[in-house]
Amino acid sequence: MGVREMIAMQVRCHRAARELQAYLDGEADAEASRMVAAHLEECRRCGLEASVYAAIKAAIAVGHDAGQPQEIDPVVLARLERFASGLSRTEGDRPP
Amino acid sequence: MTDGRAIGADGPGGAAHQAALFDRYVLPEVAVLYRVALSLTGQPADAEDLVQDTLIRAYRAVDRFDGAHPRAWLLTILRHTHINRSRRRRPFLLADGDGMGVVMERLAPSAPASDEVLISTQFQVVVADALAALPEKHRAVLALVDIDGMTYQEAADALDIPRGTVMSRLHRARKKIRDGLDDSGVQPRRRRM
Repeated sequence: MGVREMIAMQVRCHRAARELQAYLDGEADAEASRMVAAHLEECRRCGLEASVYAAIKAAIAVGHDAGQPQEIDPVVLARLERFASGLSRTEGDRPP
Repeated sequence: MTDGRAIGADGPGGAAHQAALFDRYVLPEVAVLYRVALSLTGQPADAEDLVQDTLIRAYRAVDRFDGAHPRAWLLTILRHTHINRSRRRRPFLLADGDGMGVVMERLAPSAPASDEVLISTQFQVVVADALAALPEKHRAVLALVDIDGMTYQEAADALDIPRGTVMSRLHRARKKIRDGLDDSGVQPRRRRM
């Protein structure tokens, strides 16, 4: 890719990045949507970033739909932290 | 697995050095390991066992850890430990371009959207953490748009703010979450190619 083409590509990356969130939310107008879709096809980096943002959206929705995750039991957590501290104390004090 | 032979008690390879590394990199992450273990196992008793096994493995391996992204490193150990212990339906492993194995679990049927997006548990945990850490104003907009499925205008009306403000808060909130995924090493940003 020549320098001119690289610069032109970066301009397209920048424009697509500005519209990306709206595009993923279905809020971009027709022209912007076409522009973003075309760029995501041609640009691996922007395509990957778009899938990460799509995954963030999905994780937020699924995290909520799945209901509250299992509650952390503070007694168990305290026990695990004591266990962890115990590991380093026991092993750390062991004579070489 | 190192046999822990010490050069000197406090030097590299020494047991006290290993303990110090463990205290520094692993102890702060016990709660996160427990939360992910709960998600992976769905059972508090199994989760506790899983975390203990993970902590032991982490202890043995910490002197070989390079210090970058402790959380991602530990979650990898947790994941491998879980796979080794599990006799149920096994999650399938997918390697991404960086060679980091990522466990993909199929989304629940309530999963949204046209494409089927496969999300790892640790991705979800980091996103949930980042979401909870957002200022209330930003979190509210994300919740209305991504959980309640509102349009920008509907969210703007619900919060009595301009549509542009909805957009800017969304952008900021999502960028913060993206930063969290980058910082934790769960989903690093790729350099411009």
